[in-house]
Amino acid sequence: MYIILLDGRGMKKQVELVQGTLDMLILKAVSLGGLHGYGVLLRLQQLTGGQLQIQQGSLYPALYRLERQGLIASEWGESDNKRKAKFYTLTAAGRKQLKAEAESWNRFSLVVASVLGAVPEGS
Amino acid sequence: MSFWRRKKFERDMEVELGFHIDAYVDDLVRSGIDRKEAERRARLEFGALEATKDECRQARGLQWMDELRADLRLTFRTLRRNPGFAAIAILSLALGIGANTAIFGLMDAVMLRALPVRDAGRLMFVRIAGTDGRDGPPYPYFELLRDQAASYEGIAAFSMSNMEIVIDGGREQVRGAWVSGYFYQTLGVAPLSGRTLAAYDDQTPGKGGRDGAVAVISRAFWQQRFGGNPAVVGRTVHIMFDTERTVTIVGVMPSEIMLPEPGRPVDIAVPITLSDPAMLRDRVSLWIETVARLKPGVSPEQARIESNTLFQAYMTGVRLAPDVHKRLYDHTELRPAAKGLGGLRAQFSQPLTAMMILAGLVLLAACVNVANLMLARATACQKEFAVRLAIGAGRGRLIRQTLTEALVLVGSGAALGIWLAGQGEAALAAFFAEGQYKIVLDLSLNGHVLLFTLTVAVMSGLAFGVLPALRASRFDPGAGLQSGSRGIAGSRLSMRLGRALVITQVALSTVLLAGAAMFIRTLSQLESVDLGFNPEGILTMEVTSERQAFGAPQWQAAQAEVLDRIRRLPGVRSASWATMSPMSGRDRGAILDVPGFAPRTDRDRVVHLAAISPEYFETLGLGLLLGRAFTARDDATAAKVAILNQTAARFYFGSANPIGKTVRFANYPTHDLVYEIVGLVKDSRHDSLREQPSRFIYLPIPQSVERIRRLSLDVRCAGDAATFAAPVKQELQAVRPAFPINDISTIARQIRQSLRNERLVMALSTAFGVLALMLACIGLYGVLAYAVTRRTGEIGIRMALGATGTEMIWLMLREALALAASGVAIGTPAVWLLGHLARALLFGAGLFDLPAFACALLVLLVFAAIAGIVPAHRAGRLDPMSALRCE
Repeated sequence: MYIILLDGRGMKKQVELVQGTLDMLILKAVSLGGLHGYGVLLRLQQLTGGQLQIQQGSLYPALYRLERQGLIASEWGESDNKRKAKFYTLTAAGRKQLKAEAESWNRFSLVVASVLGAVPEGS
Repeated sequence: MSFWRRKKFERDMEVELGFHIDAYVDDLVRSGIDRKEAERRARLEFGALEATKDECRQARGLQWMDELRADLRLTFRTLRRNPGFAAIAILSLALGIGANTAIFGLMDAVMLRALPVRDAGRLMFVRIAGTDGRDGPPYPYFELLRDQAASYEGIAAFSMSNMEIVIDGGREQVRGAWVSGYFYQTLGVAPLSGRTLAAYDDQTPGKGGRDGAVAVISRAFWQQRFGGNPAVVGRTVHIMFDTERTVTIVGVMPSEIMLPEPGRPVDIAVPITLSDPAMLRDRVSLWIETVARLKPGVSPEQARIESNTLFQAYMTGVRLAPDVHKRLYDHTELRPAAKGLGGLRAQFSQPLTAMMILAGLVLLAACVNVANLMLARATACQKEFAVRLAIGAGRGRLIRQTLTEALVLVGSGAALGIWLAGQGEAALAAFFAEGQYKIVLDLSLNGHVLLFTLTVAVMSGLAFGVLPALRASRFDPGAGLQSGSRGIAGSRLSMRLGRALVITQVALSTVLLAGAAMFIRTLSQLESVDLGFNPEGILTMEVTSERQAFGAPQWQAAQAEVLDRIRRLPGVRSASWATMSPMSGRDRGAILDVPGFAPRTDRDRVVHLAAISPEYFETLGLGLLLGRAFTARDDATAAKVAILNQTAARFYFGSANPIGKTVRFANYPTHDLVYEIVGLVKDSRHDSLREQPSRFIYLPIPQSVERIRRLSLDVRCAGDAATFAAPVKQELQAVRPAFPINDISTIARQIRQSLRNERLVMALSTAFGVLALMLACIGLYGVLAYAVTRRTGEIGIRMALGATGTEMIWLMLREALALAASGVAIGTPAVWLLGHLARALLFGAGLFDLPAFACALLVLLVFAAIAGIVPAHRAGRLDPMSALRCE
C-alpha cells in the first residue's frame, strides 16, 4: 500500500506505508466523531494538511477489515446532502487499540529520531 | 454467512461505494469542474472498482466462500455431465463406507461401548479363580462381602435364568434375572417409572421385604407385553419357578441395563432371595456373578486384597478336594465392569475384528477405484486445466478444485453409506435377535459411529483425491495445450498409474474372494460334520419338575405318562427324556474311576454324563454298537448299569470289549456308585461341531447319580418338527398343568444357531468379496477401454499391415489377464496372511486353502476376462481406415 506525500516543494512522492499505519490513521479519524467513508478520507486530508493522499478505493477494504475485527462499528444514516450513507464509529476495543498503537508509534518514532539525531562522538 | 446476508452485503457495498464516488463528484463540481470531467477524475482517483470490491470481500473473509462456491458449482456441473462416473464413484464409496460403518457399529455395540451407568469406571466384577479359569463366586461368599467388605460402596449379585410367568392366566416364557436388592443402586440405574428394587426387597428369603415379593420389568417387555401401559406398576404376575410365586411389579427399568451384560435381553428382574433356598445356602455352587462399586479413593488392588482375605477365611469353612480347590476356588479376582461381563465380547471379538479388516480392504478397493476413475477423468480434462493455468489460475486453485471434487464424491458417498449402514444394521440386529439365545443390540447410529464414519470418509477422500490433485499441480500447460488427443503429456505416466491401481484392486479382491471362499468352505464343512446322529426332525424342550413333586415317584410316573401320550400323537416317531440333549448348550461332567485304568492327570478321570430314558438312542438315531440299550426294567432298584460311547470305551478300555466291565463315580465319596457297562454307543457331537466327540457315559434316569429336576424332552417327528411344539406342549400340560417348559426348539435349529458366527462371517465376507470383485472389474474395464482408445492408431496400423481382428482381441485380452495375474501374484501372500490371522475362525479348510483359493482365482479370472472382452472386442472390430484417420 502506498500513500502519496507532498514534499516541501509540493512535488508528489509515492511512499510505501508501514503495515498497519493506514488502519491507525483511520481509527484516529473515526475517533474524532462518526464519519462515513468519504468523510474519513476528507478528515485524513484535512488532518495531514493535504500532505497525505491515498488511493481512495483502498480505504474501504481497511474499513471492512477494522469492522470485522470489531474495532469500529457501522450504522446506516443520512449524509449532509440527505443521502443514505454508512457511518463508522469507534468501539471500546477500537479506542483501546488506538491508544496502544499510538503509544507504540510514539515510542518507535522517538527511538528512530534519537538514532538519527545522534552525532559522532567527540565532534 | 447465509445466502441472504451475503446478498445484502453486496447491495450495501454497492451503495456505500456509490455514495463515495457521488459525493466526491459533487465536491469537484462545486469547486467548478465540469461534471463529466469530475466523474472521470472521481473514478480515476478511486481506483479499480471491482478490484476494490474484491478486496473488501476478502477483508470480510468472504473470498474463500466465493471460491468454494465456484469450485462446488464446477464440481456439480462436471459430475452432472458425467453421470456414469459420478454414479459409480459415489456408489462404490457408499458401499465401502457403509460396510465400515455397519461393522464398526456392531463392534461398538458389542465390544467398545461402556455400560450406560453412573461412573462405570468404578464398577468391578468380583470373581473367584483357579487354574481352570474364573467364575462368579458362591452366594454365601457374596453375602460375606456385602456385610463385611469395607472397600465397596455397594455390591450386588445377579444371575440370569429363564422363567415362566403367568399373566392374566396365560403362561409364557420370559428371560428373567435374579438380582440382589441393592443391585440397581450399585449400578446407579434409575427406573423409568415406579421404583427400582431396594435393599429391603430381598430381606427375607422366600418372602421378599416390606412390600412382599416384588419385581421390576424392562422397558422393552413393558412395551411388548403391556403396551406401555403406565398402570403396570402395581400389577401382580405369577412366577413359576420351584413353586408358583406371586410378585408385584414395582417399576420399569431401561432395557439395556437390566443386567451389566450388553446384548442379553432380560424381561424381568426378581430379588434373588426368592430363588431356590438350597442354592442360596450352597457354599460351593457357582451360579451368580457379583458386581461392586469401589468406594472413592479405594484402589482395585486394595479391594482385591480385602476381598481375597475374606474369601480365604470363607474357604476354611468349605470342605473340598484339594485339586478342586486349586482348580476353581483358589483366590478372588477383580475385573473392570465398565463394558459388562463380556460374554458377547468373547464370542464375537474375533469374527468382528476379521470383518472389520475385510471391510477396511473393501473401502480401500473403493478408494482405489475412485482414484482410478478420477485419474482417467483428469486425463480427459487436461485441456481444461491447461487453459485455466494459462489464463492465470493458481496451481493451488487447481489442487483445491480436484480435492473439492473428491470431497463432494466422498460426502455423497458417506451420506448414502450411512443410509446403507442403517439398513445393514437393521438386518444385522434381526440376525442376532433370532433364536433362543437372542442377542439384542442397540445398533442405532450414535456419535461414536458417526465420528468414525466421518474420519473414514475424510481419510478416503484424501486417499483418492491427493494423487490426482498432485498430478494437477505438476501439470505443464504448454504441453497440455499443444498436444492432440493422443500422446498427451503425462499420459504414459497416467497409464502406468492406472495399471498399478487396477493391479491393486485385483490384489485386494483376490484377498477378499479367497477369504470368502475359505469361510464358505468352513461353513459347509461344519454343516456336513457327521454328528453321529440324525439331527433332522427332532423337537426339543426343557421341562422342570415342580417343587412339590421334587424327587418323588410322581415325577417319574409323570415322565412315563408324558412319553406315552406324546408317542400316540400322529406323526411322532419316538420320544425320550435326557438330562441334556445334544447342541443344547447344557453339559455335565463327572469323575470316573475305572479299575485297570491309570489316569495320568485329573482330567483323565472327567467324563461327560447324561441320564437318559430307554428310547433316547432311538429318538436321536444314535446307533448302538455293542450290548444293549436301557429298558424300563433298569429302575432305581435294579442293578446299576451304564452305556459308554466309543471315545470313552477306547479311552478307558483300549481295544478290549467294555461290556461287563464296571466303573465307579468318584464325585460322591459317601455313596458307592458302581455301574456295570452294558452297552456301547456311537460317538456324537454334543457341544460344538468344531470339537472332536468327547467321552460320554449314559445312565438310566432312575439310576442317576444325582436328583434330577430339569429334563430335556426330545421328540422325533415326521415332517417339520417345529409344528409339533404346540401339540406336545398340550400333552405335557395335560399331564401336569404347572410344568414349567423352556427353550422349545428343534435340534436342527440349535445347530444352525451354533453356527451363527460362521454364518455371519460367511455372509459378510462373501458380500465383501463380490463387492471387491465388481470394483476390480470396473477398474479393469476402465483401463482397457482407455487403452483401446489410446492405441486406436496403433491398432489401425497393425490391422492395415495384416493383423486380424481376433489377434487384436487377443492383444487387449492379454493385457487384461496380465493385469489380473499381477494382482493375484501380489494378493497371494496376503491370502496366506489372512488365513493365519483368521486361523481360529476356520474349520476343515487349510490356512492357505488350495481348493478355496483355486475357486476364488477362477472366479476372478473369469470376471477379468469378461471385463476385458468388451473393450477387446471393440479393438477387434476397428476399421483400419477410420482408426488411422481418427488421429
